Amino acid sequence: MAGRRQGARRDTRTAYLLLAPSLFGISAFLVLPILVVAGLALQRWDLIGPRTFVGFENFTAVAVDGRFARSLLTTAVFVAIVIPAQTVLGLVAGLLLNRGLRGSAAFRVLYVLPWICAPLVLGVVWRWVLAPTDGALNALLGRRVEWLADPALALPSVAAVTVWTQVGYVALFFSAGLRAIPDTVHEAAMLDGATPWQRFWRVTLPLLRPTTFFVLVTGVVSSFQVFDSVYALTPNGGPQGVTDVVAGRIYYEAFEQRAVGQAAVMALVLFVLLVAVTLVQQRWFARRTTYDLST
Amino acid sequence: MRTAGTYLLLVLGAVATLAPFLLSLQTALKSPLQFASEPVLTPPDPPTLVNFAELFGDRYDFVAPVAVTAQVVAVILVGQLVFSVFAAYAFARLRFPGRDAVFWLYVATLMVPQVVTIIPLYAVFADLGMRNTFWALVLPYVFGHPYGIFLLREYFKGIPGDLLDAAKLDGAGTLRILWHVVVPVSRPILATLAIITVVTHWNNFLWPLVITTGRQWQVLTVATAALQSQYNSNWTIVMAATTIAVLPLTILFLAFQRHVVRSITITGFR
Repeated sequence: MAGRRQGARRDTRTAYLLLAPSLFGISAFLVLPILVVAGLALQRWDLIGPRTFVGFENFTAVAVDGRFARSLLTTAVFVAIVIPAQTVLGLVAGLLLNRGLRGSAAFRVLYVLPWICAPLVLGVVWRWVLAPTDGALNALLGRRVEWLADPALALPSVAAVTVWTQVGYVALFFSAGLRAIPDTVHEAAMLDGATPWQRFWRVTLPLLRPTTFFVLVTGVVSSFQVFDSVYALTPNGGPQGVTDVVAGRIYYEAFEQRAVGQAAVMALVLFVLLVAVTLVQQRWFARRTTYDLST
Repeated sequence: MRTAGTYLLLVLGAVATLAPFLLSLQTALKSPLQFASEPVLTPPDPPTLVNFAELFGDRYDFVAPVAVTAQVVAVILVGQLVFSVFAAYAFARLRFPGRDAVFWLYVATLMVPQVVTIIPLYAVFADLGMRNTFWALVLPYVFGHPYGIFLLREYFKGIPGDLLDAAKLDGAGTLRILWHVVVPVSRPILATLAIITVVTHWNNFLWPLVITTGRQWQVLTVATAALQSQYNSNWTIVMAATTIAVLPLTILFLAFQRHVVRSITITGFR
């Protein structure tokens, strides 16, 4: 008895010794920053001088200044272009990859390539591809289009580059999800006389729901934080500020304008928004994804 | 017919994926003079490494950012592997009070976005007088990430208990068990974590951008961004830089393609 209790105590000591480094890291670099950012939201700081407590002044400043609200809207539009496009294209690519053709594995690998590269570097590559006079795309089209300087085209262009980066990644998940659907389900639908179109809408798509959901949740959360590629393609918010996404706004506010307090308020708002999105999506996910194959 | 159509679409997708890479490589292999005087899409004639030579020469000195990035990634990699194995083993294999609460804390921190931590971390490192240092680049990541710990924990749970008990009966301490039993049977998942870590930190941009100034601790992504904004239309040299930034990961990716593809589908990393 005593020996076992001693063993349990030894286990506890060992466990916390093993956890110490990561517990320190996570507390210091993921939990503590949330508290610090809340504190900074109540202070005025220019990155160099002393910090002064100013109460809720930064909150009112951010609320009055329309740029933050505009950047939230810009980001929402960006997400609204990127997510449907990459999900549909990724699903199509996933279906093509899963027709059991020779060489499918090689195509799958190829498609993921952009996704493992640094978004910043890909942004620089695409900045050249989309350059007005000496860029590759206009040379191919034989006309001069201001992809990144025209206020009407800049945001769609930046969104298109993001879609290009992520389609292969999305396709990978869909192709894994498709492989998990048992052949018997398709066979049964065929015996019932379902057309390929009907089989896709009534069988494949509903059974892919967990994959679709995973892809949507991670896609929304990550594209809401987009920064690197936008920074490379259209610095300083782009023409007339049309690509001023929220992560960029926070960065420029803190490190260019040196209004750290206001940037901290924006960061807090973004944090709350993203947590809310994640929680809502998870609840929806938990409720909607169970289906009964027996009926 | 259907097969031909499928192949056609797959090839179109491959062309769209590869074209920017190949075109940028082609530009990197052209002399600045040829790029300026001939149509953009003409192939290099003759192909030249002059841009790469210049990139690594005194003026642009890209040797330094490559070296800094490699060092940062190496230190983070070792730290993440060791500390994630520690934490995951505790969560998967030891019983102790507070285990579920601490694990819940780890999982909850997955929801903290990087953009939100940048400003407070900057303030903390400024207060510590550690702006623009090697350790500022490394410390926030070296102690492990909840994702990696979560990933290893799931795997460690599946290790047969007999294996660990036998080692314990032989009187092996925890570190010996980890090194001689847990690590050898967990090679595939450790390789997965290693790849994820290398890719994530080789590509990291925002934190290095804000916490370093000047050339001394500039990483590859920051150096590439700086080069692009400074030499805006010298596209041959800029494309040489993007080629250098992308090449190591492309090689790593092609060498371990099956591993990478599988690791993405298990973890959905990032």
